[in-house]
Amino acid sequence: MEYQLVQHGRAALEFIAELGSRAARLRPRIQSEMQVRGLNEQTLADDLDARLTQVDEAMRDSPAFAAMSRISEWLSLQHGEVARAAFEAQREEFLPRIHALQNGPTTLEANAAVPSPDYFRDVWIHRTTGGWDGHEYQGFIHGELVHREYVAKNYPGDIFAQRRAVLATLPRRDYRQIMEFGTSSGHYTMQLAREFPAAHITGCDLSIRMLEQAQRLGNEQGSAWRLLQRPAENTGLPNTSFDLVTSYIVLHEIPAQITRAQMREAFRLLRPGGDLLFCDVTRYSALDKLGVFWAEYQAINGGEPFWREAASLDLACAAHEAGFVDVRSEGLDGKSYPWLLYGRRPGLAS
Amino acid sequence: MTALLPHDAALRADPLAQALLTLAKELWSLRDRQIVLETVLTEKGIDVATAVERYQPRGAIKARLDTERQQFLDSLVATLSRA
Repeated sequence: MEYQLVQHGRAALEFIAELGSRAARLRPRIQSEMQVRGLNEQTLADDLDARLTQVDEAMRDSPAFAAMSRISEWLSLQHGEVARAAFEAQREEFLPRIHALQNGPTTLEANAAVPSPDYFRDVWIHRTTGGWDGHEYQGFIHGELVHREYVAKNYPGDIFAQRRAVLATLPRRDYRQIMEFGTSSGHYTMQLAREFPAAHITGCDLSIRMLEQAQRLGNEQGSAWRLLQRPAENTGLPNTSFDLVTSYIVLHEIPAQITRAQMREAFRLLRPGGDLLFCDVTRYSALDKLGVFWAEYQAINGGEPFWREAASLDLACAAHEAGFVDVRSEGLDGKSYPWLLYGRRPGLAS
Repeated sequence: MTALLPHDAALRADPLAQALLTLAKELWSLRDRQIVLETVLTEKGIDVATAVERYQPRGAIKARLDTERQQFLDSLVATLSRA
């Protein structure tokens, strides 16, 4: 969506984005200090809990580590607040456009009675006050202000190009019916629509505020997406009704047992020969001990209670158990992020 | 999970560091505004720097400054007193 922030909101968001990237420069210094303090692949504990305690104790008098902790905490708690303040400063200016984009070819089936599972109800995702539905315009605030002005400037590489690159790995271009699990504010949906313009896209999520934003994006580009407020592990949609089921960076936000359930649901929804493509954070099996420590540190900072079990889950094994074949679990282009899980429902594509 | 990182958790709970960073954000936003303001005025042919240096707030502008200062300090106190 097109928008222009006024001075204070713009400057404050630029401040937090820049602070995040400048603070990241402490990491090489911290890692050097770790080496000096005898922390390396040989000495780091195999047990993950023990490893966290080991690093915490060894780095207790490190000014660089202290600065990283203090700044990370502030950014984690404040990025959502700064974005909300920027929105509130221009609420009256933004609302006509926001409301106008609620109308168009993209439909949204809200379901206030949808059961709210504890993994969604009890977690304030990314430590956002009140969670994903904690503000009546949280979809715009997260999807536009946080994602574009903060997240995109603090993750390595072009996070929008990564979505396109992930979709380019799929073996077919002729998908007619695509199902997206965990649509959120619609950034991945946008790339699906661009990559597969002839396909009809259905998306589901538990957050009505995020789906509202996805609806605005769909309407803005004239797409007829069907958005549903439902859990991906139990969509209620007909068997064998999709050619592709996909999700992007969702799995670390849900328990491993829900990921397994989503794989079973994906298998049920796919036609024979249909494709599964899930993308998520780097598997712990692809990281060294120090890399896993930093992933855990990021999870603590981001208030991510399911990161460890998600990143430890053997996705390929889980996909096989769900019935998929030709399964591949690997990083994109030989790198460790984003991580891709591909599988195919047996049978010939119709 | 934070029980596994007690030193890190103590640093994260440091209210003074959190307040300092909130203050820094506001300070930067102000500096940004000042630089933009002086640039805009200069582009319009007005050298505002000297006039600002000598300006004495009265009336409505003083009331506005008072209100915004109070809001700013409330934000600072809220951060410092966060449980």
